[in-house]
Amino acid sequence: MTDDIATPATEGEVQDVVRTARADATPLEIRGGGTRSGLGRPTNADRTLSMAGLSGITLYEPGSMTMVAKAGTPLAEIEAAVAAENQRLAFEPTDHRALYGTTGEPTIGAVAACNISGPRRVQAGAFRDFLLGVRVVTGEGEAIKSGGRVMKNVTGYDLVKLICGSHGTLGVISEVSFKVMPKPEATSVLLIEGLSDARAVAALSAALTTPYDVSGAAHLPKGVDGAPVTMIRLEGLEPSVAYRADKLREALSDYGEIAIESDPARTADGWAYIRDARNLADGDGAIWRLSLKPSDAPKLVATLRDQIDVAGAFYDWGGGLVWLKTPDVGDAGAGAIRGALASIGGHATLVRASDAIRASVPVFQPEAPPLAALSRRLRETFDPDSILNPGRMEG
Amino acid sequence: MRTTFTPEQLSDPATARSNEVLRTCVHCGFCTATCPTYQVLGDELDSPRGRIYLIKDMLESGRKPDAKTVKHIDRCLSCLACMTTCPSGVHYMHLVDHAREYIEQHYDRPWSDRALRWVLARILPYPGRFRMALLGAKLGKPFRGLIPDSRLRAMLEMAPKTVPPVSRNDDPQVFPAKGERRKRVALMTGCAQKALNTDINDATIRLLTRHGCDVVVAEGAGCCGALTHHMGKTTESHATAAKNIRAWAAEMDGAGLDAIVINTSGCGTTVKDYGHMFRNEGLAADAARVSAIAKDISEVMVDLGLSDATRAPKLKVAYHAACSLQHGQQIKTFPKNLLKAAGFEILEPKDPHLCCGSAGTYNLMQPEISQELKARKVATLEATTPDIIAAGNIGCMIQIGSASQAPVVHTAELLDWATGGPKPPALAGMRSADGDGFRMPD
Amino acid sequence: MSLIAMPEPDEGVLRRKDEIVNALTRILPADCVISDPFETRAYECDALTAYHCSPLAVVLPRTTEEVSEVVKTCRAHQVPIVPRGAGTSLAGGSLPTADSVILGTARLKGVLETDYENRFIRVRAGVTNLSVTGSVEDDGFFYAPDPSSQLACAIAGNIAMNSGGAHCLKYGVTTNNLLGVRMVLSDGEIVEIGGPHMDAPGLDLLGLICGSEGQLAIVTEATLRILPSPEGARPVLIGFDDAEVAGTCVGDIIKSGILPVAIEYMDRPCIEVVENFAKAGYPMCEALLIVEVEGSEAEIEDQLGRITKIAEALNPVELRVSESAEESALIWKGRKSAFGAMGQINDYMCLDGTVPISELPFTLKRIGELSMEHGLDVANVFHAGDGNMHPLILFDANTPGDLERAERFGMDILRTCVEVGGCLTGEHGVGIEKRDLMHDQFNAEDLEIQLKVKDVFDPDWLLNPAKVFPLEVTETRRSGAA
Repeated sequence: MTDDIATPATEGEVQDVVRTARADATPLEIRGGGTRSGLGRPTNADRTLSMAGLSGITLYEPGSMTMVAKAGTPLAEIEAAVAAENQRLAFEPTDHRALYGTTGEPTIGAVAACNISGPRRVQAGAFRDFLLGVRVVTGEGEAIKSGGRVMKNVTGYDLVKLICGSHGTLGVISEVSFKVMPKPEATSVLLIEGLSDARAVAALSAALTTPYDVSGAAHLPKGVDGAPVTMIRLEGLEPSVAYRADKLREALSDYGEIAIESDPARTADGWAYIRDARNLADGDGAIWRLSLKPSDAPKLVATLRDQIDVAGAFYDWGGGLVWLKTPDVGDAGAGAIRGALASIGGHATLVRASDAIRASVPVFQPEAPPLAALSRRLRETFDPDSILNPGRMEG
Repeated sequence: MRTTFTPEQLSDPATARSNEVLRTCVHCGFCTATCPTYQVLGDELDSPRGRIYLIKDMLESGRKPDAKTVKHIDRCLSCLACMTTCPSGVHYMHLVDHAREYIEQHYDRPWSDRALRWVLARILPYPGRFRMALLGAKLGKPFRGLIPDSRLRAMLEMAPKTVPPVSRNDDPQVFPAKGERRKRVALMTGCAQKALNTDINDATIRLLTRHGCDVVVAEGAGCCGALTHHMGKTTESHATAAKNIRAWAAEMDGAGLDAIVINTSGCGTTVKDYGHMFRNEGLAADAARVSAIAKDISEVMVDLGLSDATRAPKLKVAYHAACSLQHGQQIKTFPKNLLKAAGFEILEPKDPHLCCGSAGTYNLMQPEISQELKARKVATLEATTPDIIAAGNIGCMIQIGSASQAPVVHTAELLDWATGGPKPPALAGMRSADGDGFRMPD
Repeated sequence: MSLIAMPEPDEGVLRRKDEIVNALTRILPADCVISDPFETRAYECDALTAYHCSPLAVVLPRTTEEVSEVVKTCRAHQVPIVPRGAGTSLAGGSLPTADSVILGTARLKGVLETDYENRFIRVRAGVTNLSVTGSVEDDGFFYAPDPSSQLACAIAGNIAMNSGGAHCLKYGVTTNNLLGVRMVLSDGEIVEIGGPHMDAPGLDLLGLICGSEGQLAIVTEATLRILPSPEGARPVLIGFDDAEVAGTCVGDIIKSGILPVAIEYMDRPCIEVVENFAKAGYPMCEALLIVEVEGSEAEIEDQLGRITKIAEALNPVELRVSESAEESALIWKGRKSAFGAMGQINDYMCLDGTVPISELPFTLKRIGELSMEHGLDVANVFHAGDGNMHPLILFDANTPGDLERAERFGMDILRTCVEVGGCLTGEHGVGIEKRDLMHDQFNAEDLEIQLKVKDVFDPDWLLNPAKVFPLEVTETRRSGAA
């Protein structure tokens, strides 16, 4: 981040900032709340474009389950507004502040730009699955829109998906509209202690293949007290959650003693712990997120433990997401991790590492050459002079 | 769908009817999903929607049919699965029947095609001739490798190993009801069935008389006309159909009939359509009367109710739904319910809506597609691991029986057995799977 | 004459037909190339029959490699390709031009891999939507997106149009259930995106391909998310004598925190026709809601109890819970056959605009007024839970001028949808039907960036080029291709 910060207050002003930057050939680093600037490859931007000035909810219709907000709106403001109507953001975005040791307020625009989603990804989807529309200022300073504010929309190409998760490299998001969901009446978490990784992922798979609509499935080889704990979440109407918890306990009885936790505060804290990777956040070390076929996960982690110094690991998404901590030195284990994934499929993102490592190791999984070529041409189309978060997604 | 017939064209009743049918089609494509030939060939032209388009074009232009159009219409099984599926109520049967008639009238088929059709039209509907042909085919089987045309080879392959002697039960006569008389019905004894399998009519007669029916085999009734009707040979088909109409109308006017019972569902579909076929002819009123009381044996038995069905052995019966029954006549549950009521365990194959590939003379005219459909059908039936396969149509029975391990019998034979008749001859020597034998009611 | 134009065919391509067909015949088995004008005619339209044109030829490849060869050959000859799934598009998505080759996916059949533990299935793209569920349902799984044409429509077309369905209120549309694809790029290269894992790396190309109407690449295989089937499901029928009250009921249910798997709406004209086909026992009323909930018997009872309480407060004329699996099946059969069944009474044009749920009552009222203005009847059947409307404009295709009236009426309805904050199409795609209305929803810059995206994937503009965007906007790009 630089000291040269532009803080436009309107989309038109964002266009001006981008046009000026283009004219000056001065690349911009786009910033929301600044809580996850460690995500992605460091940019060599000379100027920061802060979106803090574009803030506020512009439309919220609980009966239509839709909200429209300017990109710089703090997530906390949005969450408070929807909670007041007994609704929520179902994609459960990760709060990266613990992971990066940052302060400040995460913004909705950044959540969209990075397609941030949490444990409920396995059931409800990622932010990409809830994002209905975006307004974006491209690298040429054009303000465009894609999608809208209705729940089903296939009019034209789905640039909403393309923008979501593009880490600001295609355009500056100025406004988003998204779907909100009813807040469940009740939550219960099934807890199993002492399972091995392989056994735990088997239990999670077993849970996810029941009809009981599991909305969270995680395993911590080292829980808060140091012992392994497997967590399975159920949400919904009160009688339904009670029924499903009973049925699921029965279905998983082979996996050992199962406790059921239904206290709202404790269940919320437990899943926030998973969501924000607090199991690994403290202390030094590089952090990886591996997305793969769930049944491959335990073996992959075991293989990596043999090859590199794995300081910690845990599983989310029923095993489909592995969080991994490696020493923040050398390639932070990139060679071993991506080598192991090459034979089984999946991808690895280096979520946290020193600037130096993130500058030398591809943060995002390198794509196959034809796909990389398409992505490059798309970036050139949206941002021909490469002034928006330049290099952020590159290897 | 838009049509472009001229008022002159529409003055022809057949064209007017086709226009009506075409106008209800919205081209939604649902029919493609359940069309057997589309499943096998994957070409829109071999689907109902594609054929409807070809027929529309052929009829609107009033042109001589081209070879390609004829090819795709010939490939239609007339299984009518499309009619079950169609949400718009498109009467595909009337449309394709019209198209076949139009092709027969306006298209010069290659000589080999004509010869084959001529032979089939002159043999199959005549039990005596057909029986002689079957005996001849038996002799010809060893030489099948020498025959160049796959269709002629198919004819030989299809010929059963044994040809039953003529059954005198099929002669015109009346079989009196056992016990109190509840109904007087005519039995259509058919044509090809009489030559291929005499057990079915025998069982049907026993079943009906046991349930209180006088069963009349009417003088002058014979082939229903379906075989020639599906070749577009309207003159021939109407001639044989007219004989039936006269024969049954005479019975209706005489001692009276409560129903005309048909145990070959392929024929049943046609007899039920006599009213439409003859709507513009002198016999219209009689044809409509006949159609109105034409019933599949399963309909009549549901109406009568099974009595004393206590004798069925514990057997697993895979029920094959004949297309003419499930699609043509929309009779889907009756046979299964009767067999269940009779004490059999009923199994249903996957994709029960798909045709077995028999389809009248289709297995002779389109052997490749027919073989593929047969293989699929037999595989799904045998996947249920049945003791017996039951069907309500002789064509399906022969088709499936030529490839299945399990014996194939007619629904009526099982109902007859369960209510006091003899064990169906086709099950002779059959043992249960675990080898301990089952109770033999005969 | 219809108000919707198609581009003039490239005479050069038409003249080179024999050469092009010969080239295709060299790379495909003989039964995979159709060029006889009597035969190509069957491919002249999809489920939008008002517009039709025979293609130059039709190819029906059986493998991805054959698709790749076709694409390369067509590119070498600069012939446009119009991909076609099962031809059930209501938007004219697979309508050919005279100078184009239809690339049908009907023979790309088969399930390649089923993995329950990891909850995915990999299929060739020509399989039908319903057959995907069919292949896993005995093991207690299903594939969630369920367009009404699911019996016949192909996964290839579902991906092209990002198809939805009645149950996507809970489970999402195609894009939310698509994990990966194998596809052929415009230069014939075969690439894969995604797979059994979630969230493919890099830019979300998978999300971009889904819903791109066959204009960016040709999908030949798909990895789909499958879900465990719910223990049970049951619909309740709620009838009102006022459309506005029905709209209120939908909003009230959603606000209450219950999320049914589906909330469907039918108006009187639609009920009458559909009841005739399906005999589902629909009550005759002005506005019928079919609300379905899932779960165990007790969960269903609980949810239905809450829903009926909400509905009862609004004085429904009918409130009936389905009492058996057979009854539920009939209720859904009727709903899913609604479009086709409309064919029993007249020709129709089916629209697909989406509006915010809060605008449903106004939009319905406005459609009623427009119906009077244009002098054509309209029946409404749609996914009320997400505001995705399907007005069916009834007209007589054999009456000169009727089609044009229906087109004008349709355009007015769709403009209304956009004006109230909605969009032109919720799940059917733009195709040709809404192509010229894109200006109403997007400004020049919004459109231009989409065209540039197509430039990236298909620089010669050979994949389904005359769709989605207004013709005059794409003119220079398309003519560059020709």
